[in-house]
Order: sequence, then structure tokens, then C-alpha cells
Amino acid sequence: MRTWAAWVGAALLMSALPFVLGEYHGDLYRKLLLWIALALSYNFLFGISGQVAFSHFAFYGVGAYAVVILVFQAGLPLPLAVLAGVALCALLALAVALPATRLEGFYLALATLAFAQLFIVVLNEGGALTGGTGGLANYRMPKVAGVDLSGRPYTAVIVLLVLGTAALLRRLDRSWFGRACRAVRDNPEAAAAMGVNVARTKVVAFAVTSALAGVAGMAYAFVDNTVNPPIFGLENAFLLLFMVIIGGAGRDAGAVIGAVLLYLLPFVLSPLIGHHHALVFGVLMVAAILLQPRGLIGIYDALKRRPA
Amino acid sequence: MQDFLELAVSAAASGCIYGLIALAYLLVLRPTGIINFAIGEWAMVGAFAGYLLLGYLHWRYPLGAAAILLFMLLLGWATERIAVRPLVERGAPLLAPVLALLGMLVVFRESISVLFGPDPRQVPYPLGFGRLELGPLVGSYQNFLMIGVTAAVFIAAWLFFERTVWGKSFEAVAIDRRAAALMGIDLSRVTAVSFAAGSAVAGLAGLLAAPNISAHFLMGVPLAIQGFTALVIGGVGRVEGALLGGLLLAFAEELTVRYAPIPPGYAQGVPLILLMIFLVVRPKGLLRAPEARAA
Amino acid sequence: MPSSAALLEVSALTKRFGGLTALSEVDFRLHEGEILGLIGPNGAGKTTTFSLIAGALAPSSGSIRFAGEQMVGLAPHAIAARGVLRTFQHNRPFAGMPVLDNVLVGAHTRFRQGLWRIFSGSAAREEQEGRQRAEALIDFVGLGEARNADVGTLSFGQGRLLEIARALAGEPRLILLDEPAAGLTPAECERLAEIIRGIAARGIAVLLIEHDMRFLLPLAHRIAVLNFGRKIADGLPEEIRGDRAVRDAYLGEHAARR
Repeated sequence: MRTWAAWVGAALLMSALPFVLGEYHGDLYRKLLLWIALALSYNFLFGISGQVAFSHFAFYGVGAYAVVILVFQAGLPLPLAVLAGVALCALLALAVALPATRLEGFYLALATLAFAQLFIVVLNEGGALTGGTGGLANYRMPKVAGVDLSGRPYTAVIVLLVLGTAALLRRLDRSWFGRACRAVRDNPEAAAAMGVNVARTKVVAFAVTSALAGVAGMAYAFVDNTVNPPIFGLENAFLLLFMVIIGGAGRDAGAVIGAVLLYLLPFVLSPLIGHHHALVFGVLMVAAILLQPRGLIGIYDALKRRPA
Repeated sequence: MQDFLELAVSAAASGCIYGLIALAYLLVLRPTGIINFAIGEWAMVGAFAGYLLLGYLHWRYPLGAAAILLFMLLLGWATERIAVRPLVERGAPLLAPVLALLGMLVVFRESISVLFGPDPRQVPYPLGFGRLELGPLVGSYQNFLMIGVTAAVFIAAWLFFERTVWGKSFEAVAIDRRAAALMGIDLSRVTAVSFAAGSAVAGLAGLLAAPNISAHFLMGVPLAIQGFTALVIGGVGRVEGALLGGLLLAFAEELTVRYAPIPPGYAQGVPLILLMIFLVVRPKGLLRAPEARAA
Repeated sequence: MPSSAALLEVSALTKRFGGLTALSEVDFRLHEGEILGLIGPNGAGKTTTFSLIAGALAPSSGSIRFAGEQMVGLAPHAIAARGVLRTFQHNRPFAGMPVLDNVLVGAHTRFRQGLWRIFSGSAAREEQEGRQRAEALIDFVGLGEARNADVGTLSFGQGRLLEIARALAGEPRLILLDEPAAGLTPAECERLAEIIRGIAARGIAVLLIEHDMRFLLPLAHRIAVLNFGRKIADGLPEEIRGDRAVRDAYLGEHAARR
């Protein structure tokens, strides 16, 4: 009961925040929440299930484009479009994962890298369907059951998405499924000897997290009311990986820390180094792997264990 | 027919670049098991070194090219020292250096962007602009230069692996690291040499490709993808597979652009689709390794 | 000795690697609650036999019947789900998890599958019950103090015990122990022997690879001897001790090494 109260309290507080933040900061806040949702699901895929995939941000894009196309071109009502979008992401994820997880070593990374690049090619060449290089814009979120959710109330939708993602992944992580994922990551042969179906565990983890990325993408579609190819490029797929590693792979708190830090860092750094914050990200990434493989959350753990 | 032969020369030239990048992957992958995502950035650095020494400082080409290759050897060695060796010595899983190299990819790219800015830089043609007719084959000097240099590199690499003690020890490490170490082969030296050589080959590919496509700080990732597509097509087992994969990929690209009834933008998708098909249907590539790699 | 139908029936089991025959026409049977020791010099095919039963390797020919069902062709995880669990010759813990979670992975097949069940009300109760069983097993093998420790902090001997607890968590009908005593101190060996007797007393069939005859002879109900991939003897421990061929092939060599 107390955990429920904590979740509800967090939801209310997080939804109320934009009313004190103002227009510009409220917008940044919503985007930060979306990055946190993505980092959480990517952490499950990479940090917990141990799969090096670059497709996560592409699935975010698939979700965003799918909901816009289904609502404004196919004329579906929004709830139906959302369901269809989730199904599309899960099916695409299965199509990528079924052959790719059979492969050894880093071939999953190569296959998903190709998938992510192919997605951009399709967006650019999709003609009227995807709007080509300019993408799709000038649409407005339809009313849901007669209620207009756009503007500040939309923050509540995103907050629910983030908390829902966090709660769902936490529940999965602390079940036999989460343990199976970690076992497959740590020692696939021993996992199989304990009765874990290694290939199926990987495929299911890939499909579930990719579908979650797709849902986050649907929420993104109505943040700026525009979707276009550059947003969903490889750069952001790398950034997501950097967030999880720098924050601490395998830990949801680490993913949140990494997402917040790397999202806010450019705002702090831009007066000093202009647009070259990516260089700092790269250096942080290399430094984290060399010096602090458990990420920032690992530093926190070490401090906590040694009482001051 | 004339049209096709001209296309064949230019396809062969781009295929050679892909082949060189694939060879650079192979040089690192075989002895270490590491997929080095930063290889495209090495090629990009090679292209910018070409701009700096040949285009900006106007060094003579042979001198400039030699200096660039030397620099690339050092860069590869330094990359290994910084991002790979500390992790290997610590006994970290193979994933750790792969991710560190992914970080290095961003470091290389952004450093070049800081130093040279976001605009493409022209790299001069070493032999000028002319066209060469070799019997029925017609192509630019640069295309023939790319083909000639690549042929020389692959012959050298083949001789190295087949005929020298050093090459044999590379193969021994590729087949079984532990056994090779027991035979007295210095694993860390083999790793260092493989990174230096991979960097030099990738840098050479960048230098050769740059006059046609200009040096640009974002050129690395597309080259990296084309390179490992060539590698996957040819198979990681043999040196000549890299060249075969590169040539097949380039011909597939050029032929679809020229003859297939699809929008030209979709031609960028050709290597990606080929890569996915090969990963699914034939993940070990067209050429088999002489011996299976031990687990 | 139980005289009912055998739980495990291995017949004419053969494995060839290229031109090399690692195992040739090997037969043996194992009953519920029985401890069968599998001995032989290095390279005799003991670990190969294990890998074949556990499904990590596919036999070249022959049959492995478990509880009447043919196991050949099943994947390792499917064999584990039918109640055949193994330990590894070299400890293979799940390094990123605490001891309790390692044991819970062993119980993987005891949880009802299907992702949606994780979100149902019964999942929490099932999880709670799983935890209690795992804790009881950790106590049974004597790792109670290390229950929530990181597996990286365990001693080698504790790691051996974790392997056993993890395999037991799958509620096996047959457990395969690959040199569980290797590297243990005499005191640890004694405790291990008690644990193995306790496992057999629960009605679980135990197949045990072991080098140390002083450990195995008082423990095993029956011993099968492999040499160069062939079974050269199979009988009660005292019969094996007196067997000429076994002495020549194994015990003699073993004694000479001591």
C-alpha cells in the first residue's frame, strides 16, 4: 500500500512541475522524461539482458511515425492507432531479433546498426507517407474522449509513461524473467543448463523493450508535433548507450542518472565549448569503461558502503 | 557495353575501398575477436591527414603519403594503448574494449570536427584529373590508382599471413589464444601490431577515397558500415574474402543505381539489406576459414 | 539397492569428434536415490558423457532414456526442464548476481512461464515461495551466511557448494555432479559427502564424476569405470577396488601418481 502511495505521489509531483517551470523549461522537462523512459528500457535490453543493439532509437522513431501516419493518414482513432503502433513495433522487433539473436558475438550489433540506418533511408525515401527528408509536421493531437490533452496537461501523459515503464521493467527485473535475462548475460551455457531457453529469453527481452521504445516514441510525436528523420538517427542511438554506461549499466537508477546528466550537460557546456559537447560524451564514455565500469551509480554505492 | 565497362572500373575502385576497410576490420578481428567500430573514423582521419599535408601544406604526394601511413600506424598503436590494453590486462569481458572503441569513434570524429570545422575539405588528386584507357577499360587515373594500390596491399597481406613467421603467429592467435600464448607468442604485441596495421590500412583507404568524395568529419560511419558489410559477405576467415566482399558490394550498389527501377535514395539501402541478408542466410560469409576458430 | 525400473538408461552411447572417438558404445543405468560414480583417467570420456546427457553435445549414435523418454535431440534447457540438472567442472556462477539470485536461476523451470503471469497477483506469492525454497537449499549446502553476498566474494569451496545448490533448486530427479570435490580441503570433502548422501536420501539419482577414490569409494553405491571411451567395469565399490583391469587402467596409474 505504501509503495502505491509513493508511486501516485511521484506522479502528481512530476506532473505538477511544469506549472512552475514556464514554457521553455517545461518543454525541456518533457523531453528529459522521454529520454529517461528510453534509457530505462535500453538499460533492460543492454544492461540486464546483455544485448548490444543499436536499434532502440529506431524503434522510438517507428512508434512516433506509426502513430502520426495511422491517425492522420489512415484516419484511425488515437487509442486504436496506439495499439496498432505497439503491435507494429513488437512485430518488427521479432523480425529483427529472431534471426539476429541466433548469431554469435557482435553480429547483433551489426544487424541492428544496419536496421537503424535502413529505417532512416526508408524515412527519407518514403514520399508522402513519411514526408521525406522534411518529415511530417503541422498536425495536432486529437482529443481523447473529448478531452484536449495538448499543452501542459500532456506532461501528465509523459509522466505516466515514464512511471509505467519504470514499474513494468522493475517488476520484470525482479521476477524469474529478469533473473533469466541476467543469467543469459553472465553465462549463457550455465543458464541453458538451468533450464533457461537462451534464444527465447533474448528475443522476448528485445521485443518487449523495443515495444516500450515505440510507446515512448508515440508520446514524443505530440511533444513538438513534428517527426523528421534527423531526430531518429544513429547519433541518438549512441547517446542512449552512453547514458546507460556512464550512469551504470544494469541498474535503473544508473540509467536515470545517465540520462539526466547527458541530457543536461550540453546546456551547461555550451557557453564554454559551443556545439562540441559530443566530444565530452565520447571522453566520458571511454573514461567510464576504463575507470568506472559500474558507472556513476557504482561511485555512489562505494561511498554508501564506506560510512563517512 | 562501353557504359558497363566504365561502370565496372568505377565499381571496382569503390569495391577496393570497401575491401581495404574490411581488411582493416579483419586485421583487428582475427587475432583479438574485437569488432572495432572506430575503423571508419581511422579512414576519416587518413582523409583529413591527406587534406592537411597534400592540400593545405602542398607536400609532394609520395612523401605526404608515407608520413600519413606512419602517423596512422602510431594512431592505431595509441588507440590500442588507451582503449584496449588496460581492459585486456584487467581481464574485462570482450565487450568492454568494443564499447571503449565506440567511445573512441566519437572522440576521433568530434576532435576532427573541432580542428577542421564542419565543411568538406578537398583532397588533391595525386595523378591529376586525366582519364586512362587500358584496352576496353576506361576510367579516371584515381580509380586505377585505387585498384593498383589495393591489389598491392592485398598481395602484401596475403604474403604476410602465408609466408612469414609473424603472419603465422597472427593466425595461431586467431585460432586459439591460449595455445598461442603457451607456444610463446606475445599476445599483447600481436594485438598492438594488429591495431597499428588496421589503422594504417583504414587510413590508406580514407586517403585514396578522399579525392573523389572529399574529407568530411561524418564520412566515417558510412565507410564503417560498408566495410563490415564487405567483411560479412566475404567471411572473416580469409584475407581475400575482404576484397571479394568489397567488390561484390560495390558492384551490387552500382548496378542497382544504374539499372534497377528504384529511387536513387534507396540505393543507400543496398549495403544494409545485403548485410542483413548475409547475417541471416550465411553469417560465416562466402569463404570459409581454413580452420574453425576455437571457442 | 532399489530394483524398480531405471530412471536413466544410457545405451550404446557413442561420440566422435572428427576422426577421434571420445566415447564408444557405453551403457549404464541409474535408479532413483542411487549414487553412481563415474571414474576413469583423464580423457576417458567422463565429461563427454555428462555433456551428452545434459544435451550440451549431440551423440553420434546411441540412446539416452530418462524416465522412459528419449533425451537425444532435446536442447539443454528442455532436458533441464525434465529434471536433469548439472554442475560444472569449473565453477560457472552468474557473476552479476547475489548468491540467492544464482540459486533462484536454478529454480527457473519451477516458475510458471508466460510473461503476463508476472503481473498477476499470484506471481508475488510464487516468488516468495521460490525465495523460501532457495534459502532452505542455501542452508542445506551450508552457505547460509553468504546468502546475500556477491558471488565474487565466495571462496572456491563455497563456489562448489553454490553450483550444487543452484542445480538442486531445479528440483532435479537426476543430478550430474562434475568433480564436486576437486580442490576442496579434507574437511570440506567430508561435508560434501554428507550433502551428496542427503541428496540421494531425497530420492534423487546422483551421477558423480570423481578422481579421488578415497572420496568416492565410501560414498558411491555403484561405480562405472571408463577408459579410452569404453566402459571397462561397472559394479559395487568393493568389486571395482578388486578389479584387475581397473587397477591397470586407472587405480594403478593413480596410485603411482600419489
